[in-house]
Amino acid sequence: MIETERLAKSYRKNNILIHVLTDITFEVSRGEFIAIMGPSGSGKSTLLHLLGFLDRPDAGTYRFEGKDLSSADDNALAAVRNSRIGFVFQQFHLLDRISALDNVMLPLLYLEADDPEGEARAARALQAVGLADRGSHFPAELSGGEQQRVAIARALINDPVLILADEPTGNLDDKSGADVLERLGRFRDSGRTIVLVTHDRKVAERADRILVLDSGRIT
Amino acid sequence: MSRGWRIARHTAVMLAANRPRTFLMMLGLAAGVAVLSTVMIVAAGTRRRVNELVNKHGLDMVMVRAGGDVQVFAPTADRGVEALFDADARAIAGEIPNVRMVSPVQNQRGISAVFEDRSHTTRAFGVAPPWIEIRRWGVAEGEFISDADMEGMARVALLGAAVARRLFPEGGAVGRTIRLNGDPYTVKGVFIEMGVDAGGDDWDDRVIVPLTTSARRLFGRPHLEQIVMLVSDPGRVPETAARIRELLRVRHQIGAGDPDDFFVREPADVEGTALETSSALTSLLFGVSAVALVAGGLVIMNLMLVAVAQRAPEIALRRAIGARVSDIKRQFLLEALLVALAGALAGALAGAAAALLLTTMGLAEGVLTWVSFAVAILSCGVIGLLAGIYPARKAAAVEPAVALGERRLA
Repeated sequence: MIETERLAKSYRKNNILIHVLTDITFEVSRGEFIAIMGPSGSGKSTLLHLLGFLDRPDAGTYRFEGKDLSSADDNALAAVRNSRIGFVFQQFHLLDRISALDNVMLPLLYLEADDPEGEARAARALQAVGLADRGSHFPAELSGGEQQRVAIARALINDPVLILADEPTGNLDDKSGADVLERLGRFRDSGRTIVLVTHDRKVAERADRILVLDSGRIT
Repeated sequence: MSRGWRIARHTAVMLAANRPRTFLMMLGLAAGVAVLSTVMIVAAGTRRRVNELVNKHGLDMVMVRAGGDVQVFAPTADRGVEALFDADARAIAGEIPNVRMVSPVQNQRGISAVFEDRSHTTRAFGVAPPWIEIRRWGVAEGEFISDADMEGMARVALLGAAVARRLFPEGGAVGRTIRLNGDPYTVKGVFIEMGVDAGGDDWDDRVIVPLTTSARRLFGRPHLEQIVMLVSDPGRVPETAARIRELLRVRHQIGAGDPDDFFVREPADVEGTALETSSALTSLLFGVSAVALVAGGLVIMNLMLVAVAQRAPEIALRRAIGARVSDIKRQFLLEALLVALAGALAGALAGAAAALLLTTMGLAEGVLTWVSFAVAILSCGVIGLLAGIYPARKAAAVEPAVALGERRLA
């Protein structure tokens, strides 16, 4: 599913070159649940953005589903993000002016063709995260845990093969966090690959395998 | 629905969901459009009123009479002052820019008109085809003098209503042959009833023949009593009259200090002054509203730029769930356009309401025209697109990897 070889990414900040990631080489198989762990500033999120085609590496290769997409254009990468990958963020990133159901349906907007089943699938996705009765609620009317579950439903709507979760429990209390992790784990059981980024060892231990990142390198 | 339409509809829905922000964005433009529409509606009303005045009082008609100033007080032009000629009329038509229609005029009293055993002594006029429009008269039966009649010195005549009644009490004058000073003329038409004018002349007691016919046959003389003309812009009558005076003085070789041998009669220009004043005010308000529109566009652009900064996480999220860079650009461009069009609509309605209010209060006379709406929609569409370009570029340049770390979504 994921193969990286000597991935590197650096930023220039105040004219100083900062190497965020160096020599990142690892593989993740289909259906695997891995955690990328490391202190803040270790480059975890940057790595996740590279894996999700939200950013491009400076060097190295990244093969997703066996394909090197480094020369693909923005439209092609947008299509991959839309239908092959689901993102879950620490901040949930729900649009607060539209209902939970509309938030879940948001990725349908960027599909190439109309999806007549879209609303039904969104309802099923909400059901899958235990929020079948909350579809018409606005994000502000939901608890943090519920908001994150809406975000998970949104990540699932287009039936992706890969779920990328960036500190999904970072803004949640322990109980909600455990619930969210439990649900994420279940999606692995349905054959999806999950890459979760966290600084929390207890969270990371839910995964099949832990990759530790320190100062931009895998240790 | 195509992908583009789906995203466009979503953009409109999101704007509607963000009503306070959308309202603030369109406010400036709506105010500008409101002023613009009010001005246009009131200007259209003023124009219509002025046109009515012009038509009613002939404010666009200038008359040149043979003889000097004294003629005004003794307008018996039949005294035979030999000062004005057809060439003067042609020179005026050719050289004075504001003049759009000219007719030379000859007239003579004491012309005998006879049909069978009926006779009547009347005043005959020799005129050119534009004359009927210049004098705002009309033909009730038959036709007015044509260019062919002029060229052929045709023996045709049109009768005033009173003359027609006198010679043809049973009607049916058109096509009959009458005698004017003994010569046969075919009746080509009968005028509509006009009555007695302010100067005491009875318009219905007249016979009209082509100028060429009167000059060569009926009167047998080349000089004119009058030249009448219409101007395009009644507001510039004084200037036009001055140029005619200048032209004729040169043509008549009148030395400096010597009196004119003609008199240029202008229409009463009281209303003309009113028209000029209101048109100056209109231009000023047009200027003000143009500035307001530009300002409204800048308001949209600035609020959009602020919004792009605030909404960076939203933009990043959209990218993460499958939006292309071009989708983001189009979304923001479309937002600016829709906000501008909403502003245009709101402003146009407010302007119409304001104009209606001014009309009911008697302060102005508005005429609702689709033009004001079309101008509002079109200009705001352009302004919206222009105002949206820069923010849309900024939005498209948002780096999702950077923006996703930021806190909240709009």
